[in-house]
Amino acid sequence: MHRCCEGKGNFSSLLGDGFTRRRFFQVAGTALVGSYFADVASAKLLESAAAVSPTLHNTAKNCILIFLSGAPSHVDTWDLKEGTWTPADFNPTTFGAIRWPQGLMPNTANHLDKLSIIRSGLAWAAVHNLAQEWVQIARNPGGATGSIAPHIGAVVSLEAQLSRQASDILPGFVSINQVMAGSGYLPAQYAPFGVTPAANGLAALTHPDGASRLSDRWNLIQSIDSDRKSGALGRNADDMGTFYNQAKTLIDTPDVNKLFAYTVDEYSRYGATAFGASLIVARNLVNARRGTRFVQTTLGGWDHHSNIYAKTGSSLYTSMKTFDPAFAALLADLAGMPGATAGRTLLDDTLVVVLGEFGRTVGALNAQAGRDHFLRMSVVFAGGGVKGSRVIGATDDKGSAAVEFGWAANRDVRPEDVASTIYSSIGIDYTTVRHDDPLNRGFEYVPFAKDGTYGPINELF
Amino acid sequence: MRPSLFFLVGVLAGAASQAQQPECTYSRAAAAAKSPAAVWHRISANAELAAPTAAPTPRRRATLPPKGDPWQFTPVNFIDSEIFGKMAKDGVHWTGPSSDTEFLRRVTVDLTGEIPSPDDVKAFLADPSIDKRTKAIDRLLASDAFVDRWTMWFGDLVQNVQVASATVESYPGRDAYYKYIRDSIKGRKPYDQMVREVIAGAGKSFTNGETNYFVRDEQNNGPIQDTYDNESASTGQRFLGMPLQCLSCHNGLGHLEQVNSAMAKRLRYDFWKNAAFFSQVTITRAKDAATQQQETTLADNTTGRYLLNTVSGNKTPRTPLNGQNFVDPEFFLGGDTPRSGEPRRVAYGRILTAHPQFARAAVNYLWKEIFGLGIVEPADSFDLNRQDPATLANGATLQPTHPQLLTQLANAFVSSQYDIRALLRTMVLSNAYQLSSRYTAGTWNETWTPYYARHYPRRLMSEEILDAVVKATGVGITMNLTTAQGQTATQVTKAMQLPDPTEGGQFRTLLNNFGRGNRDDDPRASDSSIVQALSLMNDNNVVSRVRASNSASTVAKTLAATKDPGTIADTLYLATLARYPDTGERATAINYLKSGDLNRKTEDLQFALLNKLEFLFN
Repeated sequence: MHRCCEGKGNFSSLLGDGFTRRRFFQVAGTALVGSYFADVASAKLLESAAAVSPTLHNTAKNCILIFLSGAPSHVDTWDLKEGTWTPADFNPTTFGAIRWPQGLMPNTANHLDKLSIIRSGLAWAAVHNLAQEWVQIARNPGGATGSIAPHIGAVVSLEAQLSRQASDILPGFVSINQVMAGSGYLPAQYAPFGVTPAANGLAALTHPDGASRLSDRWNLIQSIDSDRKSGALGRNADDMGTFYNQAKTLIDTPDVNKLFAYTVDEYSRYGATAFGASLIVARNLVNARRGTRFVQTTLGGWDHHSNIYAKTGSSLYTSMKTFDPAFAALLADLAGMPGATAGRTLLDDTLVVVLGEFGRTVGALNAQAGRDHFLRMSVVFAGGGVKGSRVIGATDDKGSAAVEFGWAANRDVRPEDVASTIYSSIGIDYTTVRHDDPLNRGFEYVPFAKDGTYGPINELF
Repeated sequence: MRPSLFFLVGVLAGAASQAQQPECTYSRAAAAAKSPAAVWHRISANAELAAPTAAPTPRRRATLPPKGDPWQFTPVNFIDSEIFGKMAKDGVHWTGPSSDTEFLRRVTVDLTGEIPSPDDVKAFLADPSIDKRTKAIDRLLASDAFVDRWTMWFGDLVQNVQVASATVESYPGRDAYYKYIRDSIKGRKPYDQMVREVIAGAGKSFTNGETNYFVRDEQNNGPIQDTYDNESASTGQRFLGMPLQCLSCHNGLGHLEQVNSAMAKRLRYDFWKNAAFFSQVTITRAKDAATQQQETTLADNTTGRYLLNTVSGNKTPRTPLNGQNFVDPEFFLGGDTPRSGEPRRVAYGRILTAHPQFARAAVNYLWKEIFGLGIVEPADSFDLNRQDPATLANGATLQPTHPQLLTQLANAFVSSQYDIRALLRTMVLSNAYQLSSRYTAGTWNETWTPYYARHYPRRLMSEEILDAVVKATGVGITMNLTTAQGQTATQVTKAMQLPDPTEGGQFRTLLNNFGRGNRDDDPRASDSSIVQALSLMNDNNVVSRVRASNSASTVAKTLAATKDPGTIADTLYLATLARYPDTGERATAINYLKSGDLNRKTEDLQFALLNKLEFLFN
């Protein structure tokens, strides 16, 4: 899709006449499909469209985004399609409306009452880097604002800035194990705080020569650096001085480092993997309620072009052995912890989103016993006001076309809709257009959301 | 512009070597000297040479310019006429000149990405010659470090990276491209020639590095016209400073009125014609036997066309116009076309580099590197309707802060045959560049920033920070570059020599934290954050470098040479901040060093200096 050229009316009408699905699949093989929208000859004024009023659910305080990079197979997991290829030990089992690979995801099976599974998801591109960025910045990286676009989490962090209390000393956006997109054109203070958890906590919060030594050194810095008080070096340097103070507060505050650490027992319960540890930290951060509002954790390794059903090596089985126990433990813990207000759980306060950048080819496996890139995908939501035991949308018997979109917009669910949903759940106006962008063009939180082109999946709530 | 206006803060030492040797036209306050140059030079040199043991350094001039009555002066070059002339006209008061050490550190970092060595500083302070700043500039322009710094600059401009969202150069391609850029900068290849070569690059991408210019902008998930469009858009942005990409999907009308009034009048068809210059390229990909990586081979053909026949891809559909299903090449600015028999990309490079906007965009980018703020901002958003005061539409605002200056810089660049060194030399020789970063003429007003009324400090770029830590502490680094199978293992010892921002070994996190970006969708950033402060305080890559137990460290070597606290303080200030401490700083340092175990306290002092804001900014 192309950012600066979609006349809003065109998009809606194309979707309304059944055009999309047919046309999208004509070109699914060439991977990128968002291209039919604008009539070049009748460009519309960007600012002329009648704005829609946003639907702000405001049901969540935080978001944990679990990004499965490499793109997991949807038809083997959240949208199970059985066939001659299906391994017997998938042990497909029916839970209400959900057909489930019990053998593959036994732990998550215990928490289906907390999940809403969207099966009408559709990626814009089946190219890893492009689609991964797309999901995280809620727009085409090659589009007009792609080169300056912040990560969704950076926007959440920025929006949360005004409501921060003195006790909110943690960064607004923490990204665990891998950082892909950054703060774009927004100030660096909203960039993801990238961390790699360890049992003892975070190296960045621990002075290698000990806390008391740092204290001596800090006092010395203050005594020799008069520029910190005078502001003589100008605004940029003043900002740095402020960040030094905030960093020192983080280092000095008891228990902050513990949020980034874990016990042996916990580690084991989350599956004894780095990914499991990242979810422990995500849980700790939202539970701390000290300023972190958006946590992303990334689990790679889902690009199973070959031997997807192998029991060892890179395969769906081995990836799921990492994901399934950790995800289940996270849901169990969040649901068992108190929320910010009486009667609510931490899960009630926290929107959990699981998705990859796209799905994988359907039906029988390819010649290498794997699955290739495919636009159809599933997106999973839990907590943050989202209802459980739900499936939204349905695909055909193969898992390729959506036969039922399952939401009022009556079209495929796009990454832009997922972003709108995240923003809406936290109470952020996803139709916002900022006018502080360096392109002097206007930066939309979600492109064309203000025209009603994209918006939250209200059916989740 | 205004030959009659001669204002100056004081002519600095560098002025003496200029062709227009300034005649003294000042009228006040400098009675003790023959020229303001002599006044400035004497003050700074005397004070700093004496600094280690004598009275406090006077960092500001003895007499401030009274309001409304600025010192008169003769400009070093046209830059000063424009910068100071505008300030005088608008009643903006500029600050005093930089001291010798402030100047040396600034110009060394700006031209080479490195901080000066203690020996550099001592030699500079000891040099009594009136043109010592000019000599220092020429030494830096001729250094290898200059080559590293401006190879990084060009690599950023063309976004050389082994993998991006929509394309893959792969390691051998990136490395060949890096070598092409470095060899070109080292060999003083004219900038316009470099641009022509990358635009027309042909052959194998793992051996002909410049071929990767095209490869970098390929769109691997759409019709070939998407690639042509990328090439057209990126040449527009990088080499003309214009956001042509907007027109790759739609006409300017109804879209760009608030963004770019000149482009608002242009059509997507115009953009296609520009993109058609890239439509006669045969792209072949094959696995390179040695590295097992996909290598691209480019060859120019004579039959390719930009066809209007797409309904999929990253762009809105391309459909026949006026019954014609293709477009022929025509330059976006001015409409030039290829000569008979001239390969289209060769023609494009020839036409593009001959257009006046080519030099204007380049000098504006380079000015921004040196002065921190472009004359046109954003530097890649030139609106050609808003450049000339004489033709400015009613109600429109002029885009350049200093229109004449931009034109004169462009003319100078062209006259020098696009010599980057010559242009940078002109910039750093100016008194405008050599103003202090500290404002001493009253209370600072942020709206004076675009006047360049002080040198506005910038945070060192990511690679500069790491290299400065290494140089200050004396503890070197070695970073292995990622290589494909069969490639020779390569190591670099400076972050500024990294071929792209995916590299950096154990220093990757530190480098990323300081906003080096990814040459794809995360632009290089110069702002600050908590993680940057945490990195400098807690990253063991920094902390371990001040340990006395490391015999290679500046701290260890200093302690081996002396136990005198004053000498230790002088040595560490010189190594870290490229200046001596003033009297107060020296006393504070001595007190601290005497307050406990000398090894520990010496380590602490250098740690604190590395975390001083002055270290991080230039």
